Amino acid sequence: MRLWPAAAVAAIAPASAFAVDYLSAEQAARLMFPDADTFAPRELALDADQLRALEAQGVRGRSARWTVRVAQHAGATLGFVVVDEVIGKFELITYAVGIGLDGAVRQVEILSYRESHGHEIRLPGWRRQFVGKTAQSPLRIGDDIANISGATLSCTHVTEGIRRIVAVVALTRRNGALA
Amino acid sequence: MRRRHPLPALRATAAAAALLAANAFAQTPTEAELARKLDALAAELANVKAQLQQLQQQKAAAGAPASPAAPAAPATSAAPVAAAPVAAPPAEPATVFSGYGELNYNRPKASENTQADVRRFVLGLQHRFDAKTKMVGEIEVEHAVSSADDPGEVEIEQAYVEHQLNPTWAVRGGLFLVPMGLLNENHEPTAYYGVERNFVETAIIPSTWREGGVQLAGSFDNGLALQAGISTGFDLTKWDATSTEGLESPLGAIHQELSLAKARDLSVFGALNWRGIPGLQLGGGLFAGGATHGQSAARGRVTLWDLHARWTPGRWDLAALYSRGSISNTAALNATLIGNPTLIPKSFDGAYLQAAYKLWTHEDYALSPFVRLERFNTAKSYADLGTGLTPSPAATERVLTVGANFQLTPGVVVKADVQRFRENKDNNRLDLGLGWSF
Amino acid sequence: MQDRWLSGAAALMAAVALAACGGGGTAGSSAAPTEQALSAQASLGEKIFRDTSLSASGRMACASCHDPDSAHAPPNALAVQLGGALLDQPGVRSAPSIRYLAFNTGFFFDTEGTPTGGFFWDGRAASLQQQAGDPLLNPIEMANTSKADVVDKLSRATYADEFKQVFGADIFSRPDDAFDRLTLALQMYQLEDVEFRAFTSKYDAFLRGQAALSAQEQRGLALFNNPVKGNCAGCHPSAKGSDGSHPLFTDFTYDNLGVPRNPAIPANADSAYYDLGLCARPDGSMASFKDLCGAFKVPSLRNVAQRKVFFHNGRFTSLKDALTFYVQRDTNPEKFYPLKADGTVDKFDDLPAIYHANVNTVEVPYNRKLGDAPALTDAEVDDVIVFLQTLNDGYTP
Repeated sequence: MRLWPAAAVAAIAPASAFAVDYLSAEQAARLMFPDADTFAPRELALDADQLRALEAQGVRGRSARWTVRVAQHAGATLGFVVVDEVIGKFELITYAVGIGLDGAVRQVEILSYRESHGHEIRLPGWRRQFVGKTAQSPLRIGDDIANISGATLSCTHVTEGIRRIVAVVALTRRNGALA
Repeated sequence: MRRRHPLPALRATAAAAALLAANAFAQTPTEAELARKLDALAAELANVKAQLQQLQQQKAAAGAPASPAAPAAPATSAAPVAAAPVAAPPAEPATVFSGYGELNYNRPKASENTQADVRRFVLGLQHRFDAKTKMVGEIEVEHAVSSADDPGEVEIEQAYVEHQLNPTWAVRGGLFLVPMGLLNENHEPTAYYGVERNFVETAIIPSTWREGGVQLAGSFDNGLALQAGISTGFDLTKWDATSTEGLESPLGAIHQELSLAKARDLSVFGALNWRGIPGLQLGGGLFAGGATHGQSAARGRVTLWDLHARWTPGRWDLAALYSRGSISNTAALNATLIGNPTLIPKSFDGAYLQAAYKLWTHEDYALSPFVRLERFNTAKSYADLGTGLTPSPAATERVLTVGANFQLTPGVVVKADVQRFRENKDNNRLDLGLGWSF
Repeated sequence: MQDRWLSGAAALMAAVALAACGGGGTAGSSAAPTEQALSAQASLGEKIFRDTSLSASGRMACASCHDPDSAHAPPNALAVQLGGALLDQPGVRSAPSIRYLAFNTGFFFDTEGTPTGGFFWDGRAASLQQQAGDPLLNPIEMANTSKADVVDKLSRATYADEFKQVFGADIFSRPDDAFDRLTLALQMYQLEDVEFRAFTSKYDAFLRGQAALSAQEQRGLALFNNPVKGNCAGCHPSAKGSDGSHPLFTDFTYDNLGVPRNPAIPANADSAYYDLGLCARPDGSMASFKDLCGAFKVPSLRNVAQRKVFFHNGRFTSLKDALTFYVQRDTNPEKFYPLKADGTVDKFDDLPAIYHANVNTVEVPYNRKLGDAPALTDAEVDDVIVFLQTLNDGYTP
């Protein structure tokens, strides 16, 4: 797959001074949409109705403000990248989700992971499970997403986060807040 | 009077004074410039007001939908989640509390021995010094009340520093859990099925088993995780041949828990786990080292190894494990103990198969019935001491456990199970339990 | 010339004086080649221990009944020793060995309520020092009339000057203090002299990996340890501690075995007289513990094979008889107890009937009933005896 060499290059290139940060948000976005020439940040503010709609779907809104990077090539939208953080067990996990125009997940990248256990969520195999998922998918551990033994909390929280992001993007595209 | 040149500090002060004088008295700039300055200041003020308003709105909006998704404990780490973050990893030191607790109820066949107990109450502490270094500690109280006259115990279960050397390797030093089996490193009540921890991983692998030393932990991109190190080990001089402790758990009877531990004989350990395919874990561990520390005429070594597998396809959770331990030179070690009821065994082992299925979920509730079949023998063989003096091996016990874990919310579990023993039928029992972990 | 002779004589006298009162046990010590350096107090204690002049009879010292050559136990086969001013007063209990008592403590009830510790058969002395004083003042032992009487004899002993050097020149003018220092010196001697805790038996060598037990000795050890055979280790622990300490073969607790009455003790001629042991301390401090009547201290089994009489009343005169009593007390009581007028066995005849229930009948090996097989056969008792012989100090391979 053509994603592999890019990932390998990103891994070798010293991303930051801290050892457990694997990718920056910009690097992740470029991995997900290599054809894009700009990533326009779009600030979204969900109102109370939208948050309630999310709850009805079984997604906890958690935050009303979201920053979505819109991947564009020559003015045309290619897709969306959202960067988020969740707590694993003790530490924050920073990750990025790339969503295509069809609303399906294109790629998931782990930007930083500091827990002692569960590094396996960075493995392509685990992240590949999310590719193709939409707002209609269950996106639950023990259902359509397999757990990593010994890292249940990290897997559960990241999966929940991805489910939330997919739902938020779908919702805001439906009501026009996100073009 | 001779003019003196002002010193550099004084010159700077004089310049500042001049500037102030200029601003205050507006000797040189025109009124227009002043008005421009005022406009600029007003614009800045308006900007700041707008930002403040934004922040207040954010706070109000984030406060309304309460987020029970993130774990309740870390107060300091939860703060940055409200704003949509750019990838700036939080490197500030943070102190995080965690904990788990188990309350158990056991009703054996002889119902006069029914017992309810706060089996354990554990407080965990993690403090991050910098982006690469953290300290992990855990303190446990068993059986609720600990004093000279009460059955409880207070113990430090973990106390180590972990330093990330590079994205692949981390090094740990201190009192840490030995990587062996499926339960030892992951022993919270929400992590296993059944009220009581399984017998193989308590009687054979003496969970919660911790040693003091140095450990290297590496996690590779192919899904392999390697852990290896040098640590303290067991103490065979603690073996009490007059009590039955050694028959219940040979290694549990001689573990040191880094409490004034004899450390002349160190042990080495290693564990390899592969999680390359999501939902599958295959692995094994090995621990070996001397256990007599030059304090006994006979020298003995303890060796323990295990193989385990866990597979979670869809709603299933399947696990299998085999572990075997051996002690060397037990003929000489037992020579001074002959006739006593509990001599040091040469070998002991155990295995189990477990299957659980997430039968029903609704929002955060989840019901997972399970069944576990285990067999273990804490004295599988004895070294020959002579006719009439060599004890016979213990009978292999088989236990069938059938029950269910009911998850109230991630982190809280209510459990119930029945256990049937093949050998000691008096131990047949009904168990109920409440546990939490955060 | 006269000056030189005087100075020579003076030098000689000085040398003799130095030899006489020097420390290090030149006066009256046994010629043990491995004599260690005792402190001044302990060395005085050794002299006092052997000093027969400290008795009314002039012929009894501590060493008389606690003979160093007999494991500090009696050198004869008398059930009770004779004392008093004329050495014609019989005692009431057999004299125990006083070895391995450095590890004993004062009397207390442990967390489970088990009486533990204390010196003498009934634990009435809280320390070696307290124990040492009693025989000196006991009318049927060394029979001194008072502490002052003892101190008076002490002040005329050959080592009196040494005593004054160590405890003060005016010590004899304070008799109570002097008596106290005397008993202290005896305690220090027992604590310091390695003879009292030699750990030089064959079993000790075996624990160190320096000797092997014979097959019979091994069998005996196994029977000794086995909780369903001899179960001796239940009160006489045989295992090394995890700190490396060698076993003392006593847990310093008490037991009531219902040992038969010994007619060889003259006091027992009075059928109303009973030696009730732990509950009958002279000061009455244990009088309310009626369930402890008949209980006596568990002695160490080290050097037991050197003894000639066994149990608190010396009722048995061989180890074979003593061990046979353990295992056949309940299966064949007629071997040990007299018959009553109606022909039934007068079991536990050394205890009033109200205290028969205090006798231990639940622990192996004396938990049998009439008609049961004894816990050990005759041959097994012999094996245990052979093992007990490995507990004698002074083993050389």
